[in-house]
Amino acid sequence: MRQLKIALVLSLALILQSSLGVIWRPLTYIDLPLIVVVYFALQRDALQALIIGVAAGLAADALGGPKSLLGAAGFSKTLTAYLIVSLATRVNIDNPLARIPVLAGAALFDDTVYVLLHRMLNQPLDYRFIDRAPLKLISTTIVGTLILYALDLFFSERARQRRQLAFRRRVARRSPLKLRRRK
Amino acid sequence: MSRKQLLLTHHASLITVFMAVNRTQKEIRQRAPWWLVGLLFGNLALMSYDARDDVTKQRLIRVWAQAVASPFQRATSGAGGAGVSFFQKIASWRTAVAENEQLKQRVAQLETEVRQARIDHVETERLRAMLDLKEKSEYQLIPAAVIARDPSLWFNTVTINRGSSSGVGLNMPVVMPGGIVGRVVATSPWTAQVMLITDDKSAAGAAVGQLGESSALGSVRGLGENGLLEMRYVSGLAEVKVGDFVVTTGQDGIYPQGLNVGTVVEVKSGSATTPHTIHIKPGARIDSLEELAVLQYRPPQRPAPDQTLPNVDKGRKQ
Repeated sequence: MRQLKIALVLSLALILQSSLGVIWRPLTYIDLPLIVVVYFALQRDALQALIIGVAAGLAADALGGPKSLLGAAGFSKTLTAYLIVSLATRVNIDNPLARIPVLAGAALFDDTVYVLLHRMLNQPLDYRFIDRAPLKLISTTIVGTLILYALDLFFSERARQRRQLAFRRRVARRSPLKLRRRK
Repeated sequence: MSRKQLLLTHHASLITVFMAVNRTQKEIRQRAPWWLVGLLFGNLALMSYDARDDVTKQRLIRVWAQAVASPFQRATSGAGGAGVSFFQKIASWRTAVAENEQLKQRVAQLETEVRQARIDHVETERLRAMLDLKEKSEYQLIPAAVIARDPSLWFNTVTINRGSSSGVGLNMPVVMPGGIVGRVVATSPWTAQVMLITDDKSAAGAAVGQLGESSALGSVRGLGENGLLEMRYVSGLAEVKVGDFVVTTGQDGIYPQGLNVGTVVEVKSGSATTPHTIHIKPGARIDSLEELAVLQYRPPQRPAPDQTLPNVDKGRKQ
């Protein structure tokens, strides 16, 4: 069930990433698959993070145009995922505020690796790194912080427990026994 | 096998499974770098293969991925587009009020301009007709404009902006391009009062059809409120039909002959002993008078009628 949820979230991110640019061009600056990769990398499951990273990257490459190198985003996102897993196992970055620099670093690192790979294999890019990378960094960090919070509500165990407790509290508040006591 | 042995075996297998799971997780952690290296090499190989083809790069994986994703992309783009247009509409409502006001003002301004253009066009046509009338008329014309109508409901007169100082005199006929309008009944130095032909006190000698050929001669007078004229004393034997035009005969001593009066709209046929009763629609647009012309026409002097008895006169003269 969890794997299905992950696949759905990843697919949604990929579809939105390729479609939102049609509606409003600046939305392409938000790297939704990278946000999903970062979120699951923060769960400290190395294998899951690597698989999600390579799947997201390869799918992004496949949905891209013929100018992009097949496997370049797969490479960069896999590497990014691994680095975040390594970081998360050594440092506690569960705090929402601590995730902000992680997102920003991931966006910058992913872009750098992607561009370097294209340069190495002599594949020209349409835009300069300096023009695009800062915008992507800012957009992905801002939107990513919100999306990570939203994903927390759906996936984390702590969130599930919180929901259960809230439900119990609501039931307890409506209890007829309590009403009687008030009388 | 005893129950105790079975339980022991079961517990042992559970421990083995637990250990295996633990080992797998541990192994995964240990082997993650190898997985990473493998995946990176895989990607690198893919990139190298992809980079070799500089011409099309039309890979099967791209074809399939895009074929699978396209319906979802289309749906997402459509939904997104609809959402964006919805929010754009909401945003545009804010400016719509001000824009609406501006457009209303613009429409009002354009309506005024169109109305003015129509008025100008009508006025131009009217003035052109007056010019034609002046050129064709054998009498001198004094152009005038209606400046007032009788304020009461009971009189059918208008005031024009030309008076005796301009040469306007009593009983002078007033015309417009369509036909006769009436006659001057009062003058002041700068204005004159005109009794309209539709007034029930006005009258004019007229004939139905061509002068000289028609035997339908009679007298035209106004019927008052309905704006029509009535022609009386036309012989019941004369042939008159609806649509015939009526012209002045010049025998009334006011209007010169040959001026258009109007067209016949109704005929109550008479007989050898009773005359026709004919209703005429005036040729001049009496209800929307603006520019007129006063004809400087003086009827020929008539000889004074002999008032005395022939025998007496003869006797006196002799």
